[in-house]
Amino acid sequence: MYIMGFWTTFYAIAFYLATLFLVIGLAYRIFQYAKTPAPLKVPTMSAPLTLWGVVIRILSEVVLFKSLFRSNKWIWLFGMLFHGALWIVLLRHLRYFIEPVWTWVVLLQPFGKYGSFIMLFGLLGLLVRRMFVERIRYISVPSDYLMLILLLVIGGSGTMMSFVSSTDIVQFKAFMLGVMYFDWQPIPTDKMLLLHLASVILLMIIFPFSKLLHAPGIFFSPSRNQIDNSREKRHVAPWAIEKFETQGS
Amino acid sequence: MKVRYLLNILGKLCLGLLLSLAVNANEPTSMQRVPIPDPPKALENFSTEQPCVEPIDIIRRNHGSLLKHRRNDTMYRGVRTTQYSLAACINCHVTPDAITGNYPSISQDSEHFCRSCHSYVAVTIDCFQCHASKPDTSVNVINSINILDTSRASQ
Repeated sequence: MYIMGFWTTFYAIAFYLATLFLVIGLAYRIFQYAKTPAPLKVPTMSAPLTLWGVVIRILSEVVLFKSLFRSNKWIWLFGMLFHGALWIVLLRHLRYFIEPVWTWVVLLQPFGKYGSFIMLFGLLGLLVRRMFVERIRYISVPSDYLMLILLLVIGGSGTMMSFVSSTDIVQFKAFMLGVMYFDWQPIPTDKMLLLHLASVILLMIIFPFSKLLHAPGIFFSPSRNQIDNSREKRHVAPWAIEKFETQGS
Repeated sequence: MKVRYLLNILGKLCLGLLLSLAVNANEPTSMQRVPIPDPPKALENFSTEQPCVEPIDIIRRNHGSLLKHRRNDTMYRGVRTTQYSLAACINCHVTPDAITGNYPSISQDSEHFCRSCHSYVAVTIDCFQCHASKPDTSVNVINSINILDTSRASQ
């Protein structure tokens, strides 16, 4: 009989808890956003006149950060570098969760490997912005720094494992699949890996309570997701009709 | 009240999880649900103290950089050392199929010693674009390691 080591048990349970927090928390937040009333028609002009126009507008915000590009080029550049590289790095990590690994994930590996440097560069740029741009520094709270530092720790420890002090990734994938299949396998106890995983778990847990909610939140911004058709179609919330227009009659 | 109720549920969930895992731990390994690569056994142990040329932990983590170092030293700087020899790895680790007697193919068969783990974690190998992925059958494995060992001692 194999007796589970302390770290295996600790990290497996932590992963279950963090996943619960992330999934339930995120679902609850999205539910909350969807339920929040938008009583007024407030699309930022010039706004699209059709639903498809709105879809394109939101996509250009989500994918290209259009309004950020219009307002500030260098912040846009760092934001784009960070988010773009983060996507590639995240997709590269699919190899630990899928067996057999999909071909496109195999082909992505070298890009993700060097993408980590771009991600760190973008993060450092955003950190410098927060510390040295006076007006940004003035409105920054500790959690703003915490998110950047946490992501830097995750990216830094991950890059260290790729290029400096390797861990046993075969054994780690076995651990990860073991967690997913409820059939635990021992985790490699290299310090860099444990640091990497601990900070990822922390990020998963605080995600639904943090500014990272801008990811689902951007889809719910009234000034971006409304159609400019206030003349053609009356915009009114159901609860407003109930409250103001059914009392007299 | 509500928070306490939620925490209670969460606690029970965790406990259930732990219990179910305690049961799982007793199951025989043939019941294993997790796919884990199962590379074939090497032909020989390196010495009575250790199975491979370095402790297994180091081999598993750093075999890539050990071989790459050798490549860089040899290719670019012209230094020929024999401590970590790709050819010797292949001679000892790539073993013929028990039934057909053929050596597994690096590009197709998951029984190939290198491929079994490398495809599991999506790490491509470029060694075998130049080097042979099958043993040199004219060389005796024990001799090849011993030759390496003595040449290392004489350096």
